[in-house]
Amino acid sequence: MKGWAPIGLTVAALAAVPLFTSSNVVLNFLVMALLIALVGQGWNLLGGYGGQYSFGHSAFFGTGAYVTAILQMRYGVNAWVGFCIGIAAGALVGAAIGALSFRSGLKGSYFALVTLAFAEVLRIVASVAPVTGAGVGTLIKLDLRPEVFQFQSRAPFYWIILGLVAVSLILVRLIEGSRFGAYLVAVRENEDAAAALGVDAMRVKLGAMTISAAITAAGGGFYAQYFLFVDAGIAYGPWISVEALLAPIIGGIGTVFGPLLGALVVKTLGELTKLVTGDAPGLDLVIYGGVLVLVIAFAPRGIAGLIADLRGFFKPSLAAAKPNPDRGHG
Amino acid sequence: MNRLVRVSRRRFLQTSALGAVAATIGAPSVLRAQGAPVKLGVLHPVSGALSYSGQQGRLGAVLAIEEINAGGGIKALRGARIEAVLGDAQSTPEGGSAEVEKMNSAGVAAIVGGYGSSICLAASQTAARYDLPYMVDVGVVDAIVNRGLKNTFRFGPGFGVIAKTALDNLVTINEQVGKTAKTVMIVHEDSAFGSGLAKLLNTQLPDRGFQVLETIPHPTPTRDFNNVVLKIRAQNPDLVIPANYYNEYVLLARTMQQQRVRPKGIYSVLGGAASSYKFVKEFPEAAQYIMDCNHWFDPRNPKSAALKKKVEDKGEFYTYEVFMNYSCVLLIADAIERAAGADRPKIIAALEGSTFAGHVMPYGPTKFVNGQNQGAAPVNTQVIGNDIQVIFPAAFASAKAVFPMPRA
Repeated sequence: MKGWAPIGLTVAALAAVPLFTSSNVVLNFLVMALLIALVGQGWNLLGGYGGQYSFGHSAFFGTGAYVTAILQMRYGVNAWVGFCIGIAAGALVGAAIGALSFRSGLKGSYFALVTLAFAEVLRIVASVAPVTGAGVGTLIKLDLRPEVFQFQSRAPFYWIILGLVAVSLILVRLIEGSRFGAYLVAVRENEDAAAALGVDAMRVKLGAMTISAAITAAGGGFYAQYFLFVDAGIAYGPWISVEALLAPIIGGIGTVFGPLLGALVVKTLGELTKLVTGDAPGLDLVIYGGVLVLVIAFAPRGIAGLIADLRGFFKPSLAAAKPNPDRGHG
Repeated sequence: MNRLVRVSRRRFLQTSALGAVAATIGAPSVLRAQGAPVKLGVLHPVSGALSYSGQQGRLGAVLAIEEINAGGGIKALRGARIEAVLGDAQSTPEGGSAEVEKMNSAGVAAIVGGYGSSICLAASQTAARYDLPYMVDVGVVDAIVNRGLKNTFRFGPGFGVIAKTALDNLVTINEQVGKTAKTVMIVHEDSAFGSGLAKLLNTQLPDRGFQVLETIPHPTPTRDFNNVVLKIRAQNPDLVIPANYYNEYVLLARTMQQQRVRPKGIYSVLGGAASSYKFVKEFPEAAQYIMDCNHWFDPRNPKSAALKKKVEDKGEFYTYEVFMNYSCVLLIADAIERAAGADRPKIIAALEGSTFAGHVMPYGPTKFVNGQNQGAAPVNTQVIGNDIQVIFPAAFASAKAVFPMPRA
C-alpha cells in the first residue's frame, strides 16, 4: 500500500537518530518534540478530521499524567500498568466530556469553550484534591530501572515516545482509510447532510473523541514518567492544550503527518531563536511568535498544505490529479 | 651584514639556551599561570511568569562570579576563572530540565538556581542523573531535599522551618499587644510553594489560638484580585496572610489599598513583594506596615552592605533573589576550591562537609544534613516609613513591630 511507506520511512529515520548521536540535549529536544507530536495527533484526529475544535485537550493529558503518577505513588501499581490504566482513564474522560457536550448539541466555538471549561474545572479540582497532592503535586520517586518505566539513558525514552507516535500515525492512517474515517470527514464537512445520509453523527464524534483522548492521555502518562513530577498547572494547565492545537495547525490540519511536521518545526524554531538571541531573556519567544504569525499568514493550510501548493506550482497536472497532499508521495 | 648575522646567530644560540632553561624551570609555571576555567551553570526562569525574580537571581549569581574572578579565581586551580553558563528555565519544570541537559553537555561543574519549587524539583532530578551537584537558591518545598538525591543541596530554609519561625514570631507579636488578633485569612498561590505553605499554616494556626476563616488559592499569574479582596472585606479577618510571588503580591496589596480593606495586620509568609525594596519604593502606601517572614540578609555583615550598594549603583533593587544567589555561588566556589577541581563527586563531598561562613545571610557557617543547610532560617521584617526594618530575631532587629497597623 502506497500510503504506508512514508510512515515506515519517517519512523525508521527517526529511530536511527540515537545511533548517530549520544547527545542528551538532542535526544531531550526530540523527545519533547515527539511528545508534542503525539498530543497534537490526538487533537488532530478530533479537530482535523472531525472538525471538533477542542481547547481543552489538557483534560486528557492531565488525566493520563495524574493516573500514571498516583497509581504508582499511592497504590504501588507498576508504572507500566499505571501508564496503560492512565490511557484508559483518559479515554474515559474523553468519552464522558464528549457524551455531555455532543448530547447537548454543542458545536464550533461552543464546543471549544466547554472543553476549555472542563479542563479548567479539572485543574482547579486537582489543585485542591488531596489525592493529587493538591497544589504540591505528585512526585514520582527516582528509581532508574526499566521495570518501573525509568531509564538511565534518554535513548529508551526516545524510542518509546517514537513508538507511541508511530502507533498514532498508523492509527490515524487506518482511520483515514476506513468507513469510520469517511463518516468523520463527512460530519466535519456537513453534519446535517451526513446525518441525512444515515451517519450516526453523535456516535462518530464520540468515537473520535475517545480515541483522541486516549492518544493524548498516553502523552500525559509519558510526561509523568519522563519528568517524574506532575502538578495541576502542568497536567491540566492551558500550555498543553495550546501546544496540542499549535502543532497540527502549523503542520497541516487533518493530515497524517501534520502534527509531527508541526511539532518538529515549532520546536526547532524555538531552539534556533534561542541560539540566535543568546542570553537576552524572552527575546527568543518574541521572534518565535513573529515567525508563527508569518507561517499562519503565508501558509494557512500548514506546512503540509504549503508542500502541496509548491508541488502544484511545479507540477500542476500531478497536484490536480491527486488533491490529497498526504497520499501523493511515497 | 655577515657580522650581524653571526652576532644574531650567537644571540640566537644564547637566547635559545636560555629559553631551554626557562622551558624546564619557568615555562611550566607560565603555562600553568591560570588553570582552565571552571564552568558553572546559572539556571533561572528569566522569561515567563517568574521572570522578574529569575532576572534578579541571575544578577546575584553573576555578581558573585565577577567578584570571584576579580579576586583571583579559584586559588586551588591556579586562579582558574569561573565561567557562567546561563540558562533560562522559562518558568516551567520542563524548561528547567532541558537547560540542565544543555549545561551538562557543556561540561559544567555544578548548577546554581532554579528559583521556583517545581523548577527546582525537575531540574535537580535531571542533574541527579549525571551526579551533577545542584545548589537550590530559593525553592522552599521540603520535598526538594527529602527525596534522597545526593547531588541536591539547599542553602536557604525550607517551608517547614519558615512556617514554624513565622508562627512563633506571630504569636510573640500578638501576645505583646494582648492577643488582639484572633482570626486569619490566607491568600496563596496554588502551585507547590503556596499550597504547601497554606497546608502547613492551616494545621498549625489553630494550635496557636488562631481561627482560619478562609483559605483562598489563586494561580500564578493572576491579573485581578478584586474578588479575593471582596471576600476578605466580607469576612473581615484580623490578619491577612498572603503567600505568593512578586506580581500577585503587589496586585493584592494595591487592591486592598484601593478597596480600603485594612485588617489589623498583613503578615506574609514568603510574601513575594512584602520585603522587596522595589515594592516599597514604587508603592509606599500599599506597602506600609506590611510584615513578612522571608529570606533576608544579615544586616550586621559589612559584605552584605557592600553588595547592596553595588546592586543599587547598577540601578537594580536588592531583593532576596540577589543575595541568596550571590551567597549560593560563593558557597559553590568554596566547594570547588576545596575539591581542588571540577570533579563532580569531589564537589558533592566538599559540599557535604562544607562549613562556609563567607556568605551574606544570617545563617552562620553552613552545615548540610541530607542536603539541607541546618542553620538556614528566615527573618521577620516590616515596612516602616520608606524602609524595610528587621523586627525579628532580636539579635539584629532594627525596629520594634508596629502592630496593629495604625488606622490611616
